[in-house]
Amino acid sequence: MPVGPIGSAASIAFTPLTTLPETATTTGANPTSSTGFGDVVIGALDNLSATQQTADKLATQAATGQLADVHDYTIAATEASLATELTMAVRNKAVEAFTSIMNMPL
Amino acid sequence: MATFPVLATMANGLSVFRTWMDAIGDNLANLNTVRRTDESAFQARYIVAEAVNYGSAATPGVGSGSRVASVELGSREGQLAYEPDHPLADANGMVRRPDIDMATQMTQLIQAQRGYQANLAVVDRARDAYLAALQIGK
Repeated sequence: MPVGPIGSAASIAFTPLTTLPETATTTGANPTSSTGFGDVVIGALDNLSATQQTADKLATQAATGQLADVHDYTIAATEASLATELTMAVRNKAVEAFTSIMNMPL
Repeated sequence: MATFPVLATMANGLSVFRTWMDAIGDNLANLNTVRRTDESAFQARYIVAEAVNYGSAATPGVGSGSRVASVELGSREGQLAYEPDHPLADANGMVRRPDIDMATQMTQLIQAQRGYQANLAVVDRARDAYLAALQIGK
C-alpha cells in the first residue's frame, strides 16, 4: 500500500498568537512590563550564567596550567556559588508564594 | 560582578600583593647576579600600586581596590665589590653586584604575605556575610 508524502502538512500554516501582547497589557497584572518579576528573574539568571561561565573558564585554565592567579579562580568559584544560592533563594520564595496562592481555599 | 562588589575588589588587591611577592622573589633570586664593572648592575624590581575608581573629590565613593600602576627599577650602579678571583672581575679586581638588601627584601616579603592574607580574610568575611543575608526569612 503506497504511502503518500506528508508534504500536505506544510500547508498547515502556523498562526502566531499576535493578540497575546494585547491581552497581557489589558489584564493589568503587569503595570510596568519592563521591570516585572519575570524580567528580574531572567536578569538574575543571565547574571548567574555569566558568573558560572567565568568560573568554568578559570577552572579550565587551572587544569591546563594557564591560570595566572590562584585567587582569581577561587574568588570566581565563590562568586558563582553565592550567585547560585541567591537565585535559588529567589526561586524558592517565588514558588512558595505561588503555592500559597494555589492552596487558597475557595 | 556587580552583585558581590567586594569580591572583585579583593581580587584586585590580591593581584597587587601577589605581584609584589613575585617581584621580591625575583629580587632575591638575583641576589648573586654579578655583572662586569662596565655593565649596569641587575636592577631590583619595585611595585607601584594605585587605587582604582575612587570617584572625584566632590563625590568620593568606595573604590574597587588597587592595581599595579608600574614596576620601577632600582639602582643601575649597584655595589662595586672587590673580588679579584671572580671570572668577571676587571683589571682592578672589581665586579658590580646588585644593590639589593636581603633583610629588607625578607621584611617586605612578610609584609606582602600578611597583606595577601588580610585580603583573603576580607573575602572569607564577605562570603560569610552574604550567606547570612541569604538566610533571611528562612
